[in-house]
Amino acid sequence: MKEIILHGRGGQGAVLAAQALASAAVFEDKYAMAFPHFGAERRGAPVAAFARIAEGRILTKAHIYKPDYVIVLDPWLAGLVDVAKGMEGHEGTSGGVPMGSVKTDICQGLNKKGAAVLNTARPPDEVRLSLEVCVGTVDATTIALETLGHPATNSCMLGAFAKTTEEVSIGSIEKGIMDVFGERLGEGIAERNVKAAKLGFERTEVGMCSGGREFPAQKKWLPDVDELPPGCAIRSQDTEYGKLGPGSTVQNETGSWRTFHPIVDDEKCTYCMLCWFHCPDGCIGRVPDKESVSVDYFYCKGCGICSEVCPVDAITMVREVEG
Amino acid sequence: MRRVVGSNYATSHAVMRARVEVIAAYPITPQTQMVEHIAKFINDGIMDCEYINVESEHSAISAVIASQAAGVRSFTSTASQGLALMHELLFSAGGLRLPIVMGVVNRSVGSTGGIWVEYNDSMPQRDCGWLQMYVETNQEVHDMILQAYKIAEDKRVLLPIMICSDGFILSHTVEPVELAEQEEVDGFLPKYEARHSYLDPKDPIASGIVTPREYRQEFAYQIHRAMLEAKDVIGEVNRDFADKFGRDHSGLIETEFVEDAEVILLTLGTVTSTARGVVRELRKKGKKAGLVKVRAFRPYPAERIAEVCKDARAVGVYDRSVSFGVGGPHYLEVRNALFDSDVPVIDFIGGLGGRDVAEADVRSMYDVLLEAAKTGKAKRNIEWVNTRGVVLG
Ligand code: SF4
Ligand code: SF4
Repeated sequence: MKEIILHGRGGQGAVLAAQALASAAVFEDKYAMAFPHFGAERRGAPVAAFARIAEGRILTKAHIYKPDYVIVLDPWLAGLVDVAKGMEGHEGTSGGVPMGSVKTDICQGLNKKGAAVLNTARPPDEVRLSLEVCVGTVDATTIALETLGHPATNSCMLGAFAKTTEEVSIGSIEKGIMDVFGERLGEGIAERNVKAAKLGFERTEVGMCSGGREFPAQKKWLPDVDELPPGCAIRSQDTEYGKLGPGSTVQNETGSWRTFHPIVDDEKCTYCMLCWFHCPDGCIGRVPDKESVSVDYFYCKGCGICSEVCPVDAITMVREVEG
Repeated sequence: MRRVVGSNYATSHAVMRARVEVIAAYPITPQTQMVEHIAKFINDGIMDCEYINVESEHSAISAVIASQAAGVRSFTSTASQGLALMHELLFSAGGLRLPIVMGVVNRSVGSTGGIWVEYNDSMPQRDCGWLQMYVETNQEVHDMILQAYKIAEDKRVLLPIMICSDGFILSHTVEPVELAEQEEVDGFLPKYEARHSYLDPKDPIASGIVTPREYRQEFAYQIHRAMLEAKDVIGEVNRDFADKFGRDHSGLIETEFVEDAEVILLTLGTVTSTARGVVRELRKKGKKAGLVKVRAFRPYPAERIAEVCKDARAVGVYDRSVSFGVGGPHYLEVRNALFDSDVPVIDFIGGLGGRDVAEADVRSMYDVLLEAAKTGKAKRNIEWVNTRGVVLG
């Protein structure tokens, strides 16, 4: 049996990709299952999906702890949550880690004979992880933008998975995408995703990454039955695990969710404050002496609403580059 | 002051004496008078309390959850369909560990519809994190409302509690009740001081939030543990009450003639009174019959039941509710309590929808038990009492 964890962000289609992967395996007369993280998901927030492929019926209904493969749909994610550790990492917060810096270990739990399939513009030998493992890399965001017009990298990364692991053929991946994406999103969109998968397959470079990268251990608040306050009524407090209770969401660096970030042109801005009014995360600030606005990039999640509503096109959305 | 009153009045008086500061309740037969009495106390200026008018039971329980969470002693009451409508919020009150007291005036939940007593309103709520106590007399309901606040607010418990009284048989029957004076109650029940889950803008808390999988299980264990601790607290509060008021309701269970009993019947609610008469009559005839009045259904006093029934040769359980296809909910508790005993345990389902349970019915239960004690086994484990077309024994 092979176990696969897909890490992505809400909106990148990790769950759909896991289902398409399971479907692809079934087209090869294998047995497969796919399941989501079973959590509340928000567009842009870190999510995980899971798949298992085996020759015969799979009995376990438990989570995956030691994946054979990890697929990382988002170029920044590996730096923000403990993607290889999977389940627990998903529920953690970034704790203010700067965007793009790899601080947690995607290789944790990874079977050494397995592989990591990463969305990155870097070739495998420029990737450094905690373990020296096989990696497949592809600039899936660029392919997704070319073929789909938005950064849903799921289908492309399935192509990369087929190339890196040879667990399923690209032909079966195409059938799996037509089956699952076709059902959900219609044939036209499924066909474009098949194209993204093919390009992903073609452009993936497979090699060994370097290892030895160190990652700080993440502490999580896990009170026992005597420490947990009755009724789970939690007061606002600073702890070694970060903030708890009311106000603790200030730690949620939603800025790490972006694929694009807004740039304000002070010259064009008329200071009408329409963007301030519409920003769902309250990230727009006034700059009175320039009669313009500023963006709080720690929280700005790159939704682009400000750019859409600006009546004078003073806000441009610019693609993030890997740090 | 001794007066002849129904249980709705007795409850309302006790609620006033407990210095409850917020009430939200929606009228439903047979509880309606309770809502009316309390409204009148407030209107007459003898009770200093916020009465929140609501459009449904769902809102009533929501309102008292909020007021109790704001650190204010609160009360609500309902019956039947009204309790069913509260169901989802009952979990919130339990989970938030709010010591709300609710007067449940038991009535069957339709369909088929009816306004008379059955425990299929309260017993299905057993897993919501509420304590449940069943009473036998109007005096007991009055006394238990006072005790309920002290039990629920104890820091070992911090759980809401239902005081369940039989619709009509108590609510609409007047009996003499010693109504407590304010000074007496003040000496027994201290002012409520919220220790947790207390909504205070100056010291905010996150409460009632989505609990990720890392926390929910410990949280559930805490409620389970509090429920177990409540067994001691119920006994302690009973003794304290007995010292101050001179009325002893004997905590989790009360027994009659169990010491040398060959057959024991376990009852809940008002059927107990009728059974007391029958058991005395049987004793006079030389039959070794005993009676246990079970007062707490949550937490269920399994250890006490096992202890009391250990030498009996047949045990009967009275049930005023049915878990269809299985038996009575009370029976299941007793089977669990007596799991390592080979004594026949027989369920007697009867009195559904307010059908009268008369002396003859209780006698028929004891007859079945005496027969089982003789043969050492039950003919049937689930018996339906006074049910047309169904033969007993
Ligand atoms: S992109 Fe604009 S609207 Fe969206 S979060 Fe950022 S600042 Fe706010
Ligand atoms: S909407 Fe455009 S013009 Fe108006 S304040 Fe924002 S950036 Fe400036």
